[in-house]
Amino acid sequence: MKLQMTNTQKVLRFMANNTVPILFLVICAFGIPLSGYSANYLFSEIIIRIVRNSFLIVSLLIPILAGMGLNFGMTLGAMAGQIGLIFISDWGIVGIPGMLLAMIISTPISILLGWWCGKILNMAKGREMVTSYIIGFFMNGIYQLIVLYGMGAVIPIRSNALVLPRGYGIRNTVNLIGIRKSLDNLLTIRLFGIPIPLATFALITLLCLFVLWFKKTKLGQDMRAVGQDMEVARAAGIRVEHTRIISIIISTVFAGYGMIVYLQNIGTLNTYNSHMQIGMFSVAALLVGGATVAKANIRNVFLGVILFHLMFIVSPMAGKNLIGQAQLGEYFRVFVSYGVITISLVLYEVRKRRDENIAGLELAAEQEVKA
Amino acid sequence: MNFEKLKASIQDMVRSFGLPRVIIALFLLVLFILAPFVGVNVGTSLSDTLNRFGMNAVMVLAMVPMIHSGCGLNFGLPLGIIAGLLGATLSLQINIPGPFSFVLAILLATPFAVILGWGYGQLLNRVKGGEMMIATYVGFSSVAFMCIMWLLLPFSNPTMVWGYSGSGLRTTISVEGYYLHVLNNLLSIRLSDHLVIPTGMILFFALLAFIIWAFLHTKTGTAMTAVGSNPVFARASGINVDRIRTLSVVMSTWLGALGILVYQQSFGFIQLYMGPFYMALPAVSAILIGGASVNKASILNVVIGTFLFQGIVTMTPSVMNSMIHTDMSEVIRIVVSNGMILYALTRKTEAVR
Amino acid sequence: MSITFNRKTWIRLAIIVLILAFSVFLFFIGRQHTVLVDNKTITVNGTEVKALQLVEVQINKLDALELAARDRDKFEVTGQTHEVKVVYTDSNWEEHVITRKFKIPLMQDMVMILIPALVADAQADQSVWLENYEPPTYAMTAAPDEETVITDDLAGLITEL
Repeated sequence: MKLQMTNTQKVLRFMANNTVPILFLVICAFGIPLSGYSANYLFSEIIIRIVRNSFLIVSLLIPILAGMGLNFGMTLGAMAGQIGLIFISDWGIVGIPGMLLAMIISTPISILLGWWCGKILNMAKGREMVTSYIIGFFMNGIYQLIVLYGMGAVIPIRSNALVLPRGYGIRNTVNLIGIRKSLDNLLTIRLFGIPIPLATFALITLLCLFVLWFKKTKLGQDMRAVGQDMEVARAAGIRVEHTRIISIIISTVFAGYGMIVYLQNIGTLNTYNSHMQIGMFSVAALLVGGATVAKANIRNVFLGVILFHLMFIVSPMAGKNLIGQAQLGEYFRVFVSYGVITISLVLYEVRKRRDENIAGLELAAEQEVKA
Repeated sequence: MNFEKLKASIQDMVRSFGLPRVIIALFLLVLFILAPFVGVNVGTSLSDTLNRFGMNAVMVLAMVPMIHSGCGLNFGLPLGIIAGLLGATLSLQINIPGPFSFVLAILLATPFAVILGWGYGQLLNRVKGGEMMIATYVGFSSVAFMCIMWLLLPFSNPTMVWGYSGSGLRTTISVEGYYLHVLNNLLSIRLSDHLVIPTGMILFFALLAFIIWAFLHTKTGTAMTAVGSNPVFARASGINVDRIRTLSVVMSTWLGALGILVYQQSFGFIQLYMGPFYMALPAVSAILIGGASVNKASILNVVIGTFLFQGIVTMTPSVMNSMIHTDMSEVIRIVVSNGMILYALTRKTEAVR
Repeated sequence: MSITFNRKTWIRLAIIVLILAFSVFLFFIGRQHTVLVDNKTITVNGTEVKALQLVEVQINKLDALELAARDRDKFEVTGQTHEVKVVYTDSNWEEHVITRKFKIPLMQDMVMILIPALVADAQADQSVWLENYEPPTYAMTAAPDEETVITDDLAGLITEL
């Protein structure tokens, strides 16, 4: 029973399905002229942000495919990447070899953490997002146990520049001067005077191609089946729990690599804080791009990065020019970041319920026709 | 034979109580026993623990109505805290020094709590099944939103605003001169040089706990329990499920508002801006430690849980510091509280919706 | 979980060994060292060798550094094998160029090249003019005392994204 939609209905339906990106477009449309930044400046900043964050956000796609929702547990991957970086900083390995070695070190840690996270999420079916959220916090405690107390004491760290004066525990900030921009500077071209790091773009493109290829493989199709309906997938012979765990492991490993890419761009490691924030911002950016808890693709990633970071960059200045306090702009962007996640989650649940309702009504109508 | 029976009954008890809880309780016991041996005064520790118990108990109590009605763990407690903060700041703005400001704060916070709770409840009714995640982010968004408001709202009391610019509230505001220790000092019992029992605060909590307990035994209260344990049956019995759920959310928000006021009068400061951001997590894990689950909670859970949680938070720094000269308390707190929440979220005994 | 040694397991083991070998390779080519070059009067095998008035030192293709008597400077290099080129003018106003290859021990952070020793005997074994260097401990703990570690999980305001 297909309804014929008028053009206005089509437009309204489009707007309803893409509420969050449109909302963000409006905010940016207001904010950019208010902030007074030049197009050149914004363009170069956005390029930097895309280069920095895309890898991390793409790592969120696979759990959504498998029906695990938004993987707040990517924090675990970020921690693994950071541990890898701490080691190579201690050993004094620089440049691309340093980055690669950090990635190699982070992989087994990510696999272990991802496996454990996946097992716990399987025990909390139906509540995956809250559980992955709390897992992130819990793991933060374990991470601190290792990095703040274990390193230097139980785990040998040679470099005094890394260890706190008390003899054990890594310092608050670790200077990553050795690998700073090593990937970015590998191959740079200048476009309108703005440096564009081609090597990093190439890496991100590779990851996107991998995700697209993965969706076509048997494992990818299995994940999609699990994501749509677990019981049907189980009846079809798919090992549901195993597939779910694999999706989390892949996501965690990529999050680890993504964190290394992120940090090589920034150049400094904020040992105890960066991994906690990165999860929230990656999720927010993905949602801004139009993704939902059940459906996300590459388009959402890039649209989300651009819109979200545009808002992020212009808010303080816009707040200053509008009200006179830059602080206001900063609070505003925090509010918008959390607000967008809230709205997306609410819309998803409401829509899910409405779709179930409609499906139920259609089913009832069919039964009536039969009878 | 007797040994076998004893072992079986212990195993039963552990299983029903939950292994993590037993571990936590034993851990706290060990800390208390170790205390005098490492030079930590047991009296002061007990006094501190009781103090923190009183400070936090009301916020933990706020979890009970929503768990009962099946809305899950109230990660959106910051919304109630904000209602309390609004009451506190407005009371200070009206500027009546002395204990009456506390009563005024409660009176002013209540309408905010009711309105915010009602809106929040309406939202939760539309998202049945995904309440906990949305509650978390509603809490965060509202704290972030209020950050903007604290900057903009036209408060003028000089003790509250930034001295330099004269507008915009400070991050922490002292309640000295208003309702500092208003409940603590009420009927406080001084047992010794170190051991002071803040009776007033504990009596206030006991009063609220009694009100909730009594409510849960009224007709509406039993309806609430029915909605939580079996919503289909409740609807079939003619209970308006949505209305009861909204009521539970309003109650929870109101208790959260009262809870932060009790906390402030003992702590001595009003914490604005990002202060309430993470305040839901300790309360959630406290009630879970006390034996509650995602859809079952009792007043006893509140008392036991708050005592155990605050006990660990108080004792670990002092005892561990004296023993191994390292302050691992922060890490232990994170691991214990989040681990407890994880444990509760992964229990299969609850009906997963 | 029993492990059967079929083809799949062997391939997986081989890949792991390959990755480990690759990691060791990365370690070798990526290790950063500091090479100090020192131009001071030293005693070699009992004979005293004087410092040179002016000498130009270059490591690999990095910028050349000029050292006067008793000067000391440093180069940051990556990898284990390097080439040092020393250009100096002796008392007869003749210019001499010495080029030598040297290897740095893997785990050594800092090494020092004693220029006078190298100049005295240009064909000498590396151990004569290259020595391992340990920075004195007081130089390393120059950081401020007892940094407070910020483990606050209040992800409130974010400055850098």
